[in-house]
Amino acid sequence: MAKLPILGLFETADNAADAGDALKAAGVASTDYDFLTDAPYPEGAFGERHESHRLYIFPFVGALIGLTVGIMLTSMTQMAYPLVQGGKPILSLPPMAVVTYESTMLTAIAFTIIGIIFESRLPAFKQGLYDTRITEGYIGVLVNVDEDQLTQTQTLLTQAGAIDVVRKS
Amino acid sequence: MVASEPKGHGQHAGMWVFPDASTTSRDLSEKTRSMPQRFTMALMVTGLLFIVGIVGFAARAADDGFDEIAPWGYYMAVFSFVFMISSGAPLVVVAFRFTKSHWRRPISRIGELFSIVCLLNLLMFIPLMFLLPDLANPDGAVEGQLELRRTIWFEGPIGAPHAWDLLGVAFLAITSLAILWTSAMPDMAESRGTATGFRGWVYKRLSSGWYGTPRQWDVQKAGLALLGAFYFMTLIFVHFEISSDYAQSLIPGWKDSIFPVIYSVTALQMSLGAILVVLFIMRRWGGYEGYAGKSVFWSASKVLLGVTLLWIYHMFAFFITFWYGRLEVEQNIIQYLITDTYGIVFLVNALFSFLAPFALLIWNPVRRSDWGPALAGVLVIIGGLAFCIRIFVGAANAAPGHEIYDLFFEHVPAPVYPDIWDVFMVVGGIGAAIFVYLVATKMLPLLSLWEIKEGTLYQKWGRFMKGEYLILGKPE
Repeated sequence: MAKLPILGLFETADNAADAGDALKAAGVASTDYDFLTDAPYPEGAFGERHESHRLYIFPFVGALIGLTVGIMLTSMTQMAYPLVQGGKPILSLPPMAVVTYESTMLTAIAFTIIGIIFESRLPAFKQGLYDTRITEGYIGVLVNVDEDQLTQTQTLLTQAGAIDVVRKS
Repeated sequence: MVASEPKGHGQHAGMWVFPDASTTSRDLSEKTRSMPQRFTMALMVTGLLFIVGIVGFAARAADDGFDEIAPWGYYMAVFSFVFMISSGAPLVVVAFRFTKSHWRRPISRIGELFSIVCLLNLLMFIPLMFLLPDLANPDGAVEGQLELRRTIWFEGPIGAPHAWDLLGVAFLAITSLAILWTSAMPDMAESRGTATGFRGWVYKRLSSGWYGTPRQWDVQKAGLALLGAFYFMTLIFVHFEISSDYAQSLIPGWKDSIFPVIYSVTALQMSLGAILVVLFIMRRWGGYEGYAGKSVFWSASKVLLGVTLLWIYHMFAFFITFWYGRLEVEQNIIQYLITDTYGIVFLVNALFSFLAPFALLIWNPVRRSDWGPALAGVLVIIGGLAFCIRIFVGAANAAPGHEIYDLFFEHVPAPVYPDIWDVFMVVGGIGAAIFVYLVATKMLPLLSLWEIKEGTLYQKWGRFMKGEYLILGKPE
């Protein structure tokens, strides 16, 4: 059975955290509900699940690619046209460092941007369930449940102190 | 609508404000949409200056073409002036965000919006790419000249210096825009349902999928930290490229490891100054006094004072090394850029970049005001303009034609005064930058909504013993 979203709106963070506890007690999987806020709350403020991301890997991969390209570009150019400049070795590190540094930075940045898009699960072209009151400081508890559990979840959210519960029309 | 009454007593009166998070989004969205008469006038005036700049550029191109760099000295100066401010401003924000200071919240978006001006930098840089003389002497090996002029591109790798410089400036713009996008995504998501027209179109596309889940906030925080670190590393490098390729390597025999540092310090000083000037204007005439207390000026002024002292330290270090060295080329460079040819411009530079802001910012009551640090900001911007004129007009006209391949800077040339097209380009370039910034402020809120709201979670005005004080929370 396909899961449907239901959104509870809470005036205070404490009530939203209580709703999280109630959902957990009711056996709703922690991956099936999320807290929507207009500002970042401290980690664990709602007792939410810890979700790790892998954003830090992206710049490392990018930097490694850029570094390799930079070293190859500079060394292969020097070896293809071996001109001695100022009595320095053909493959001298200081001049190679300028190009290599730039190429490393550029690819690391490009991969970081890709990483942010990927790890934030962006872009999402299908509009999810949202309520503009969240921008006024309300906290949304978004739950994905089976259709036959919608009413039960709505009751649960209301009992936890939700001032309104929104379903997808 | 005033978000809150300023708090503080005694010498700290008006230091702190505590915006109401529930009305912040609506109020700031209205402010972003509104077009007060004063704003429209500013837009028209700077728009006209933008056109004047284009006329000056076209006339200069028609008169002199793009074969020689000498006639474009003032264009280089205004490019560098705009570049230094707009590239430094995002770094100022990144640095204060790294330190997790609460007072920086009202200036975050002010600095990030300069990223849009980076696009103007990129456009302005394209002609400069064509103007930079080749590394290799077209006459080959000639007595008294170098076969390959002195440059950081020691062995002349593929595309050096033109393509690598352009790539650097382009990626700096891309990184600063990525920082702006990552930071502004939650704010755009807030208004994507209500914003109309072009603004609505942009918001929907750039914030699609953002709902403010803990994972998204976590990734945003990490993303801003990573992009900020890379921005810092790239910015210093690109400053090194620009100050080396468009200043030092155009004056034969100028070898100085301190100059790129002076360039970066001047850029950061001007950027912080510009941010404080924008904040002052917002508070005084924009209705933002409920969102930014005087504590922002108070805290930022100490950093500005520190950077001002760094400026004179590096300037003196540059001078004393050359003065003590007493080589002919060093004496000529001192005469050219500091004492004789551009001596007056140097005095203006030193007065506005160090003496005047230092004399202003050492006073506690001035630092605690909003006008004091903003005035110091205006001063350092004027000083920075004098710096750019002295260095880049000087560099462009130091060694005309093939003299650029000379071993040393043997003669001290006369100063080059601006003609009408130079004035048009300088005034127009500055006007264009302000115009682009003003347009950007109508696309995105001038304050970072989520950071202001996050600030309200951790700051409050409360009683302690017999008095009331600012109480700060630390999330980590």
